[in-house]
Amino acid sequence: MSDMDQLLADMKQGVIDFDEDKVKAAAQAVVDEGYDAYTGILDGLAAGMEVVGELFDSQEYFVPEVLMCADALYAGLDILRPHVDMTGRETVRGEVVIGVVEGDVHDIGKNLVKMMFEVAGFTVHDLGSDVPVDEFVQKQIDTNSDIVALSAMMTTTMLGMKKAIATLREKNPDVKILIGGAPVTGEIADMFGADGYAENPTNAVSEAIKMVGALRRM
Amino acid sequence: MAMTSKERALSIIKGLPVDKVPAFSGFGNVIVAGLEKYDLRFAHVHLDAQEMADAASATHELAGTASVNVPFDMGVTAEALGATLNTYPHSQDILYPTLRDKYVHEAADIKMPSDWSSAGRVPVVAEAISKLKERYGNDVAVGSWVLGPFTLSGQSMDLNETLKTTLKEPAKAAELLAKFTEALIEESKVYIEAGADYMVLREMGATPDVLSPRSFKKLIKSYSEEILATWDLPKVYHICGGTDMIIEDMGALGADAVSVDQKNTIALSREKLGSEAVILGNVHPWEVFSQGTPEKIREAVAAAIPYVDAVWPGCDMWPDTPVENLKVWVEATEAMTPRRKA
Repeated sequence: MSDMDQLLADMKQGVIDFDEDKVKAAAQAVVDEGYDAYTGILDGLAAGMEVVGELFDSQEYFVPEVLMCADALYAGLDILRPHVDMTGRETVRGEVVIGVVEGDVHDIGKNLVKMMFEVAGFTVHDLGSDVPVDEFVQKQIDTNSDIVALSAMMTTTMLGMKKAIATLREKNPDVKILIGGAPVTGEIADMFGADGYAENPTNAVSEAIKMVGALRRM
Repeated sequence: MAMTSKERALSIIKGLPVDKVPAFSGFGNVIVAGLEKYDLRFAHVHLDAQEMADAASATHELAGTASVNVPFDMGVTAEALGATLNTYPHSQDILYPTLRDKYVHEAADIKMPSDWSSAGRVPVVAEAISKLKERYGNDVAVGSWVLGPFTLSGQSMDLNETLKTTLKEPAKAAELLAKFTEALIEESKVYIEAGADYMVLREMGATPDVLSPRSFKKLIKSYSEEILATWDLPKVYHICGGTDMIIEDMGALGADAVSVDQKNTIALSREKLGSEAVILGNVHPWEVFSQGTPEKIREAVAAAIPYVDAVWPGCDMWPDTPVENLKVWVEATEAMTPRRKA
């Protein structure tokens, strides 16, 4: 019988080293041995991603490395998620609509934020990239999601978010709106009426990862 | 005798003395006021040589900027290689075209046109260059540009795939980059033959914001060098974002000048590259040129002046940029003392 601490350490290190096989083997062992899958996700996979965030901030890792780490995380998440038992847990749950605004096809930041929501146990409605404003609005209405997360990588598409926020607010004043991407600053988030933001592509990556870390401590 | 603005722009790039520093750039400068002047729709200016030339001219005509630059969008090469362009014809907003059908997964998927002068919109861009040349002759510099091969791979392939390939399969990445390099050499030849006065190689995706300096050195820079070596005209190398870690490499690729954006620590770049290097930059096109007050523009220009040879925007001008703001740029730039005074 494998020790849970060892499996957590393996998953963590596997994510850091982008070693999908190592992550899969450890995640499978968690399931087979009857350990808690949710602990595996948070203290194994997400813990690894938190270190990846530090490596990214210190410029040891760059976006390709982070993407490989995210693949390793997903390899474990796919195995563990069906076994998560949320009964009796007090944690953040909810539904989120996420996508990249029309005119923009850059989806890396969006995918990493999506990963953060998935790790946290949210139901994610991913609209993909190059998404017209109306689709965000319609999806939010259809799913009654708590959060809408909009991303734009380029200054040229950032203004699309302003329109999306105004339309979303009009239809549903209570929805939480997060915006992120290269040209987005706190000032712009305020100007557009968003509830939260990630500052730039680099920050979108590290902010998303930090959010994973914050969830672990909740 | 006073130099023409074309002579000034080209001399700046070549590191030669000028009597006055011109306000010009190596990227698209199309603005909404210019589109209105010629009654153009943004979604259509990418598709028609006359409209492209008019949109490029308008900024110079309205604000007195010292270059006219085409094309405006980043899809020309990828489209010529087989991807489908989306110009968002129905959008009420200014949206730059993007590409659909990113069918390239490996070098063998790249469909190289047999004749680049008739491939996709390459002839539209070339004709726009010819028209601008006809219109301005020896007075205003006609600038053109192509993407770098790594950035092009991000336009032609799924970007996640492009990025992961650099780590997982560097040999495959190198094969792809070699093929894209070949394409870009052929495409840029068409623009140079059409009369471009200077060229910019925009390898923006290879920024250390995304890719490690290790990868830049090992994988990216030799292809940039290869393209620049084929250009026998004033040439600029540009990378966006925080370029501090690779600025010395950027300066050693054979371009006459390097261009950097607002995330570059410009004083450090000047220190690293030395006083002989030609550095262009690094004012924020959105926060300063588009959204800034005249004071903010003057401050940003003044902050760049001690370190740059000419004050360039870090990227394409945002189309909403007011003409008045561009005039402030022209005025403030022309007031600077050239680093090399004629």
